[in-house]
Amino acid sequence: MSGTAVTAPARVAQARARPRHSAWVRRRDRRGLAFVMPFLVAFTLFMIVPLAYAICESLFNSRIIGGTVFTGLSNYTQILSSGMFWSGVVRVIIFGAIQIPVMLIIAFFFATAFDLGVAKYGRTFRTIFFIPFAVPVVVSALMWGFLFEPVYGPFSHLANLFGFHNTDFLSSSLVLPSIIVIAIWEWTGYNSLILYTALRSVPREIVEAAILDDTPLWKIILKIKLPMVRPAIVMLIFLNTIGALQLFVEPLILNNYSAGVITLNWTPVLYIFNTSINSAQYNLGAAMAVVLGLTIVAISVTSLLFRRDRGGMA
Amino acid sequence: MAAITLSKLTKVYATGVTALDGLDLSVADGEFVVLVGPSGCGKTTALRMVAGLERITSGMVRLGGRMVNDVSPRQRDVAMVFQNYALYPHLSVYQNLGFALENKKVERAERDRRIRAAATVLGLGDMLGRKPGQLSGGQRQRVAMGRAIVREPSVFLMDEPLSNLDAKLRVQMRSEVLRVHRSIGAATLYVTHDQTEAMTMGDRVAVLRAGVLHQYDTPRALYERPANVFVATFIGSPAMNLYEAALSSDGAFRGQPTVVLGSQRLDLPAQVAARVAAYQGRKVIVGVRPEDLVAGLTGGGGTAGGGTGLVADVRLVEVLGSEQHIYFSIDATQAAVAEGGAVAAEAAEAGILVASAPNGVARLDPRVGVRVGERITFWLDPARLHFFDPDTGHAITG
Amino acid sequence: MTTSTLTAPDAPAEAAAPESRRERRRRERREDLDAAIPVELYGLKRGTVSLLTACCVLFAIFTLVPVAWIIFNSTKTQANIFGTFGFWFARPFEFFHNFRMLFENVDGDGTYITWFGNTALYALLGGGGATALAALAGYGFAMFRFRGSKVLFYIIIGSLLVPIGAITLPLYLVYAKAHLINSIWGMILPSLVSPVGVYLMRTYIRLSVPRELIDAARIDGAGETRIFFKIALPLMVPGLMTVLLLSVVGVWNNYFLPLIIFSDNNKFPLTVGMGLWSQHATTSGDQNLYPLIVMGGLVTITPLIILFLILQRYWRSGMLLGSIAN
Repeated sequence: MSGTAVTAPARVAQARARPRHSAWVRRRDRRGLAFVMPFLVAFTLFMIVPLAYAICESLFNSRIIGGTVFTGLSNYTQILSSGMFWSGVVRVIIFGAIQIPVMLIIAFFFATAFDLGVAKYGRTFRTIFFIPFAVPVVVSALMWGFLFEPVYGPFSHLANLFGFHNTDFLSSSLVLPSIIVIAIWEWTGYNSLILYTALRSVPREIVEAAILDDTPLWKIILKIKLPMVRPAIVMLIFLNTIGALQLFVEPLILNNYSAGVITLNWTPVLYIFNTSINSAQYNLGAAMAVVLGLTIVAISVTSLLFRRDRGGMA
Repeated sequence: MAAITLSKLTKVYATGVTALDGLDLSVADGEFVVLVGPSGCGKTTALRMVAGLERITSGMVRLGGRMVNDVSPRQRDVAMVFQNYALYPHLSVYQNLGFALENKKVERAERDRRIRAAATVLGLGDMLGRKPGQLSGGQRQRVAMGRAIVREPSVFLMDEPLSNLDAKLRVQMRSEVLRVHRSIGAATLYVTHDQTEAMTMGDRVAVLRAGVLHQYDTPRALYERPANVFVATFIGSPAMNLYEAALSSDGAFRGQPTVVLGSQRLDLPAQVAARVAAYQGRKVIVGVRPEDLVAGLTGGGGTAGGGTGLVADVRLVEVLGSEQHIYFSIDATQAAVAEGGAVAAEAAEAGILVASAPNGVARLDPRVGVRVGERITFWLDPARLHFFDPDTGHAITG
Repeated sequence: MTTSTLTAPDAPAEAAAPESRRERRRRERREDLDAAIPVELYGLKRGTVSLLTACCVLFAIFTLVPVAWIIFNSTKTQANIFGTFGFWFARPFEFFHNFRMLFENVDGDGTYITWFGNTALYALLGGGGATALAALAGYGFAMFRFRGSKVLFYIIIGSLLVPIGAITLPLYLVYAKAHLINSIWGMILPSLVSPVGVYLMRTYIRLSVPRELIDAARIDGAGETRIFFKIALPLMVPGLMTVLLLSVVGVWNNYFLPLIIFSDNNKFPLTVGMGLWSQHATTSGDQNLYPLIVMGGLVTITPLIILFLILQRYWRSGMLLGSIAN
């Protein structure tokens, strides 16, 4: 290795120093494209094409009489003025606005506890916390459905013990908080692990320097470590927001335990699903999906910009 | 009362590794002491125990006479400069410098005064608004020092602060560090693996290896009277030449003690002979520094009545401009400190594939004409020979 | 030239015996201890550590409550599920009976075991394929700078913003045209697309495959495919395992896609099947489906949890990648 490596760097350095891409380098770069190609093909076929198709479909309307007709943006105007659609959007926004910060605070709390080594058996706890990630959302909704079940479920019994009689966790007033609890159950472990890893990558010396500077613990956590893991937090807010706005499975399954509480338009994705599949109004559904997509983009991007402007949490 | 006193300081990690074994050391007020040694020798561990960042397994740390084993690093009044500077990346230079003062609830006016004073001393005046990411390595290093200065501590600790700088900058910063030290006047414990830094900067230098202190002395003493072969080869570059030799008493003049070095004999004057009398007739390790081998422009040049010749074959000549390094071989057996001392390593670099590899180095005046393959006679002053016990490696002092 | 050395002979080297799992855990715990900043340096009030450990225990209980519930209730009859205390057993002990029922086609909805096999098939093929594509693409993005690579990468990452509905529902229509409805390939092929996988692989490859190694191989005349398989791939293995784990879990837990494209019960994966049972359990209450749902849930999550426990170090390092943000 040492023999050839002595001459190799010189030639490579020469190649790199050449002003524009030589034929050799260009040929090599094209091979890079070859590596990416299989993924790109699948990506185009199964993401771009359906997306384009959806956008096309949204501009049409198929009627029983008259077949498929180009209707332009009429689907969109219908949606934008539809109270049903927007009430679902508002609901998921409220859902996200409560669930995400609560979950992140809990996740950060535990991530910090593990990072500082103040909780014994950190590894064991972290593994336990991560188990919900291995549980399919359907199964988790099923399990929690049983637990929350108004008549026979254990939580109702417990509530009775504490004096809260006849609490129906799946009633229309309590079902959203219940789903928030489920979501926190599902995602805290994952978020906590990512934050923990980010905290671990803070150089030890910086914390030691802070200790020598006699910095109180709360200041170390909030003023030194927290700002340094901001990229991870931003990414988590981003991912969590996208997930929260697409809430679908939990309400769908919970409806089986408590009929009627979850309306057709309870969340945007539910509404899209019901419109497209159950009512077979594909065009309208497609338009809704596009509107939802743009809404998600808008909210995600603004939350990112917001973070960057503030220059840090708190 | 010494500013820092370490007594039998020991550190054993949970994994069973002994990083430091019974270190005894004291630093006077205002003194600049350097801990030096190869990596893994325990110098950084010792420093961190003084700071309070490492739990002490056994032994004592006293600061200003007060035992601080159980005192939190927050209350020890020590400031530390880390190897990677450990600056808070999201705070400006001004905020970095003032962070500790904020914690101690120093008033804004006083805080500002101290920050600006430190900035002036270190030449950071126009960088106060910038963040560490926007600074060069040398500037960051100065901010790290500034952070320590503003606290006006009684003890300064520095963990290889210059290691991450390039060679030229390092030389510049050496004098900077000393200048700052002199203007502050606090006791300083400085850790480095570079023996040049140790020799040029320290009032006293402690040489460590594998957790054990080998010698604690002034640079001059370390150079002239190394306590054992490790210190002898660690200090000085190129490293001291070590050879297996024997002492016998059949010299040119009957009964005069000589050193038998391969096929050659070096006569020893009386004082030197007296020093090594105990080893008469036995094997010894003899060391001669490359700078003590002279080949004069006039072809001779030993001291009058003294000096003795060493004949060697020149294998390689390195021209540095200010001096030249002559790699030679003699027919004596080279000795090395275990696990590859400096000598063995240098010989390996000079051309292992050559059958007759060199086993010694000399530093000569650049004007002396030397050719590879020549047979040359070096002159050396036997008083400058170093002798070591072949089994323990300790210096023979008589 | 011979050299001789002067020291006491070295202590005899410890024979490196293979570590048992307990020894390794103990060593890891000791290394954690050494690596962490000693807790007392933080200046915590007494009792803080116990308080925090108590919080962890509480949250661990919270995490395990549904799992415990499912374990206990998978052993009960339908009546007992609703009748007896949720967090302990009851007579009769129906665990094996319930388990056997999974192998039968209950009320025409399909057999659990079939669904399980389907899920395994989709997850392994889909997840494995996704990992392969992500590895190739990640390598291409990490090692080569071709025209538009940056834009392309951002588009791929940006696709995460698009709601599942916008892609999956029209996919159904596309399938209708391509006769892919109800086909296993209709499930597996879209699962091959994992933008997160590409992102993780690119990050990982950048960190663990040194550019110089590839350049040296190129100078030595190796072709790009050879370089990928013989040099880069072995270095990527930990990242590959992480992406594989995440992809397999992703497909295993996928609900929306199979819900839409499958109408044939026998092709359902577990998620859709269980959802269907849940629906039928309430509409036609007589069916005695509840014990099956609970048992089915248990059997669904057990393989994944075991997989997770075995492959712990891979998702740990994966989280490391995940937190090195854009």
